[in-house]
Amino acid sequence: MTSPALALAPSMAPPAAEPKLKVRDLHFHYDGFHALKGIGMDVPEKQVTAIIGPSGCGKSTLLRVFNRIYAIYPKLKASGSIELDGENILDPRYSLNRLRSKVGMVFQKPVPFPMTIFENVAYGIRHHERLSKADMEARVELALRGGALWDEVKDKLKQNALGLSGGQQQRLCIARAIALKPEVLLLDEPTSALDPIATGRIEQLIEELKSQFTIVIVTHNMQQAARVSDQTAFMYLGELIEFDNTEKIFTKPGKKQTEDYITGRFG
Amino acid sequence: MSTSPAATAIPEQRATRDARHDRLFAGLLKACALIVLASLLGAAFATLWGGREAFGTFGWHFLANSAWDPGNQDYGALVPVYGTLATSFIALLIAVPVSFGIALYLSEVAPRWLRTPVASAIELLAGIPSIIYGMWGLFIFAPFFAEHIKPWLTNYLGNNPDDGHPSWVAAHVPFVGKMFASDYPFGASILTAGIVLAVMIIPFISSVMREVFQTVPTRLKESAYALGSSTWEVVWDIVLPYTRSAVIGGIFLGLGRALGETMAVTFVLGNAMELSSSLLDPGASIASTIANQFSEAVGLQKSALMALAFLLFVVTFIVLLIARMMLRRLASREGR
Repeated sequence: MTSPALALAPSMAPPAAEPKLKVRDLHFHYDGFHALKGIGMDVPEKQVTAIIGPSGCGKSTLLRVFNRIYAIYPKLKASGSIELDGENILDPRYSLNRLRSKVGMVFQKPVPFPMTIFENVAYGIRHHERLSKADMEARVELALRGGALWDEVKDKLKQNALGLSGGQQQRLCIARAIALKPEVLLLDEPTSALDPIATGRIEQLIEELKSQFTIVIVTHNMQQAARVSDQTAFMYLGELIEFDNTEKIFTKPGKKQTEDYITGRFG
Repeated sequence: MSTSPAATAIPEQRATRDARHDRLFAGLLKACALIVLASLLGAAFATLWGGREAFGTFGWHFLANSAWDPGNQDYGALVPVYGTLATSFIALLIAVPVSFGIALYLSEVAPRWLRTPVASAIELLAGIPSIIYGMWGLFIFAPFFAEHIKPWLTNYLGNNPDDGHPSWVAAHVPFVGKMFASDYPFGASILTAGIVLAVMIIPFISSVMREVFQTVPTRLKESAYALGSSTWEVVWDIVLPYTRSAVIGGIFLGLGRALGETMAVTFVLGNAMELSSSLLDPGASIASTIANQFSEAVGLQKSALMALAFLLFVVTFIVLLIARMMLRRLASREGR
């Protein structure tokens, strides 16, 4: 890793590991609304970083800046810098195609494409690589195994993905995202539409995936953040209030607001 | 209702009365619905009954006969049926890609402030009476077509060019030479009618397409973008497959309108009861034939026109049935 560390504004004190994403002085505007106000944080590599906070605090917005998915809409603007391995991804010269092959994303509700299970996984790969039929099959199998879905779907790869259950669909979406071999995986409330059993499987999967990927998960479920993450960031009204080891955040939060949120609502 | 004995009588009375009113109301609604069914069946039966003499005289030959000769009392449906199908097909060929582009631009690409005004303009276009399209076609488009487009087509695609030699295309591609050959000096032709029809059905098809494109969930498109798709890939791989059935349904609704369109087509089709292989020659459609001849037709000719009307009924019905089936397929897929 080449990281010519730029010394900008001091970030919130996190972790020992080398940061994968360095966020500095990040501001975000939605058509006049100031949604993120000077976020600075270091996301450590190959760990799970959870972002929590009440609705409208900007946690999903922050996640959506990490792969610039917001760029498909007009009038949204991000300023500041986010360095991925030392390169600023907010630089317009950083190609979206390249960024999205490095930073995968899974959304709140499972969204399989209207195609077969196999094609759902192969679809994204085709945007970035040209593989032979055999290589593609191997790659799809690998991704589906990675998404802990292979055993359930190996006999029906040619069936429409819409026939899968909600939990299976969400694991398919994870498989689809990791099929591109991204370095960072963004999960935007990935279990909010799932039942407890499916949620448990996804959480288990997150645990397995963190050895290979840097994971950032937005969740409104505090127990989930406590269970799956190594670092937790608490956001409120567009500001990053506190960012620390998950254990510390949930046992000895440094800020009053964090404590109120953690104890007051879900304690 | 257990307060006093006097209070119970009124609710009971009311209950009986309400039940009677509800029955009456239901019957009234049923009658309204039956009127629709009755007029549909009535129209179909009336045209079939009116055409019985023609069907009886010519039998199945009526469909294959290209003659329409009031002098010899010889009538066939081939020319108008061909004209109807050919003009509608040309209209679709032009209208579908253009509508697709309009709808995609408005739902995916256009800046937000432009979307609503353009969409309303399209809906206004769909509301223009067809007689206006017909007049525009006759007085403005057909002369322009005869002056500028037709010579180019006969010269470069047809086999009767200015210098007397068939064009390269006519010499090398079968049928194309004949399709674009014409000695007829005016602008009225099957192609002209097809183009005017295309202009008429574009607002129709594009507004349906725009609406169904907007039903594609944002999260589905975002997921595709998140995998590195470009706008074109999202449209082609996600939006179109997701809306396929409804898009086809919209196209068929446009086709249904093109098949039955009378006024505009009558103005620009030329109304020649002759079968020609050239798209630049005048022709006739079922609707235009009926509109032109009904006032003076008697006897067998009148019956033949009725029979034509029945055929148009059948063709339109089949087209709308197919559209309905496709829409139902979409509905069942969404309701999964």
